[in-house]
Amino acid sequence: MALDFDPSIIGSEFDRTVFAPVTQDAILEYARTSGEPAQNNVTAPPTFVVRLRGHRWMPDNLPKSLGRAGFDAGKDIVFGAPVRVGDVLTAVSTVHDIYEKTGRSGSMAFVVLRTLVTNQRDEQVAVIDQKMMFR
Amino acid sequence: MSRMHTRFEDVDVGHDLHTLSLTLSGEQVKGYAIAARMPGGRFMSDEEARKEGLPGQIVPGNMSLALFSRVIAESFPGATLKKLSATFRGLVHPGRPFVVHGVVTEKHRTDHGDLVECDLVLESTDGDRWVTGTATVQFPTRG
Repeated sequence: MALDFDPSIIGSEFDRTVFAPVTQDAILEYARTSGEPAQNNVTAPPTFVVRLRGHRWMPDNLPKSLGRAGFDAGKDIVFGAPVRVGDVLTAVSTVHDIYEKTGRSGSMAFVVLRTLVTNQRDEQVAVIDQKMMFR
Repeated sequence: MSRMHTRFEDVDVGHDLHTLSLTLSGEQVKGYAIAARMPGGRFMSDEEARKEGLPGQIVPGNMSLALFSRVIAESFPGATLKKLSATFRGLVHPGRPFVVHGVVTEKHRTDHGDLVECDLVLESTDGDRWVTGTATVQFPTRG
């Protein structure tokens, strides 16, 4: 796979979403279905942040040579301030990296989408790197 | 052997984490996908997944992350998960038994607190590693 793309895409923002205040119901339902504990029923489990899906979850300007079907290859999350009932969270997503890798099964391309989540006090709640694989 | 560690001093490299042995049902996976706002048909039923070219319903990668987080919470009560990484190596399907386990790989005292590093694995009972990961856990500093 020959990867040819405009380097200016790296770092470009493709989504910014402000979510409605976090409800106790959402926290408890996430905790119940994931098995992760919710502290005092008002603090969300750490991975609650993966539920913050913005208006657009993929950028429109990815290189055409990638093709259309991408697979979720992995995720890295750095956790900051905990999420509590009533928090108003903002998620800003950017294209963090695009690179090629050759393995035993051939050439693959990876796109890393970074989502920075902050709360109403401008505290960093999480940095989520989602790695999409294209082959 | 699975263990629970409540104090940084009691943690050593090589310690096993709490082990989860699970078989998720299709309804459990669907319930998580709805709670996590992941509307893809592949997470909802075998029928919907087949329409997307998959052999059957699959467990969202995010649910595997949540299971890793649960292992950390049950292994280190009172500690804080600071970082979690996962690599999705294979499809996880409901109805198939698997285990989630881990081991302590490093521990250090830093200016940012007492930190423990762990490796994590979600694998079939036959030893197929479907998801691998790492975690960084911060223990409360005792004055």
